[in-house]
Amino acid sequence: MRDVAIIGAGMIPFGRRDEDTLMEMLAYASLKALDDAGLGDKTVDAVYVANMGGGMLQHQSAIASSLVDRLSLLPAAAETIENGPASGASAIKNGLLAVASGYYDYVLVVGGEKMREVTGWRATDFVATMTHPQAEYPYGITLPGMAGMFTRLYMEKHGVTREQLLAVSLKNQEMGTLNPYAHVEMALDRGGIFDSPHSVVNNPVSADPLHLYDLCPVSDGAAAIVICPLEMAKKHNKTPIHIAGFGQATDTQTLQEREDPTDLKAVSLAAQKAFEMAKLKPSDIHVAELHDAFTILEIAESEHVGFFKKGEGGKAAAAGKTRLGGQIPINVSGGLKARGHPVGATGVAQMVDIVWQLRHELPKNRQVKNAQNGLTVNFGGFGNNVLAFVLKRVE
Amino acid sequence: MNKEIAITAYKCKKCGKIHYPFHDRCLECKGREFEKMHPEGDATLLAYTVIFNLPWGFDQRFLILGVAEFENHVKAMGQIKADSVDQLKTGMKVKPSWEPIKKQYGEDVYGLKFEPME
Repeated sequence: MRDVAIIGAGMIPFGRRDEDTLMEMLAYASLKALDDAGLGDKTVDAVYVANMGGGMLQHQSAIASSLVDRLSLLPAAAETIENGPASGASAIKNGLLAVASGYYDYVLVVGGEKMREVTGWRATDFVATMTHPQAEYPYGITLPGMAGMFTRLYMEKHGVTREQLLAVSLKNQEMGTLNPYAHVEMALDRGGIFDSPHSVVNNPVSADPLHLYDLCPVSDGAAAIVICPLEMAKKHNKTPIHIAGFGQATDTQTLQEREDPTDLKAVSLAAQKAFEMAKLKPSDIHVAELHDAFTILEIAESEHVGFFKKGEGGKAAAAGKTRLGGQIPINVSGGLKARGHPVGATGVAQMVDIVWQLRHELPKNRQVKNAQNGLTVNFGGFGNNVLAFVLKRVE
Repeated sequence: MNKEIAITAYKCKKCGKIHYPFHDRCLECKGREFEKMHPEGDATLLAYTVIFNLPWGFDQRFLILGVAEFENHVKAMGQIKADSVDQLKTGMKVKPSWEPIKKQYGEDVYGLKFEPME
């Protein structure tokens, strides 16, 4: 198997993009990554497109075939990867394996989603189709609802408090104000959403015990990377970022069938595999993008990947250990909470943000000083399909 | 008249693990033969929430949902008959019933409901 590196990365600002179609967003992000890689007029061998809702929301299928045509990448191989909110990381994994195997040299991976053109009702329902079609979906359960049940259990078992969840909200939205690609560029005020009478109105319960500002927004957006063998990457202009390790694991579809519903086994296993392959440990990571679709997930994942012991993640967040300049900066981009969560794009966007960190390309107020190794966790379903990647800067 | 709870759970004939929903192979021992069983008795509330952003098809202000374990260890999700989550706590006893949970094309869709007993 060949070592694989990222040589190009691109993203378009997330948010409400009424003016763009899904295909336009995918094309813009792809061109940014191709240009960043310096490929010029050259083509790539294959394109992997991550998208979850094109069929349901845009009534569009065979998206990858359409994209290669639009981008004049013919006759590149092309396919669309749908793996729920982990589609982005799944597409990267498929591209990675294709290059590592020696079959392809240059691969474009792009993820995108357009969720804001339907009503909130429809968008919530679209995401809820991931739940079990007989045992869960008919009851009206949503992903925030799953997260609400999980949060209460996690609070009861590990002592996480609403104040600790608040620390994640405040941190990630503060970082979002510094990220021009973020959907939500609005800092939050503790009083306004937590401990003043106004907070009841400003930050109502959304999925008890989670409140509005514990949830990520529903977003449009796209992000892309270009990968190739590490040996070939060294000939390109940009500092290569080695995909040193990856792991993927699954868990039961329903929370009720997990022996301990607070144990995110797929997160632990995916991260362990990624660390083993990269021959690194959690303490070697300098910056991480974790899948904070809900504030509780940033805390729970920070424990399950091994940054903190169980029950310590919430305290660490409240103590500022996960802020820029802290012990392990998490979601310096603002995470899903502020950058947004166009489901098919998220796994790729996390990777793009870590690439920028490891290349040391970000402005000082967002750059983790001298970052060499990064981690991403893309969380599908409610933790029933999870991918983790360990990235290394190559000098 | 109370309707029978129309849920079928599956007990692995090899290791005894109870599954709901159905799996083609046992999650514990990979066995493929199951004995059908139905939820029995009252239930214990294992997890719950109230959601205010409902999916398409639910024309109401909020929905209280939970997962409960029946006396014969079948675990299932259902809607909870309460006015507020303040009436609930993990581990409390709930009374299961089979009732309309939503309407689809004008017809009632039936499912599990749990009512607090304490």
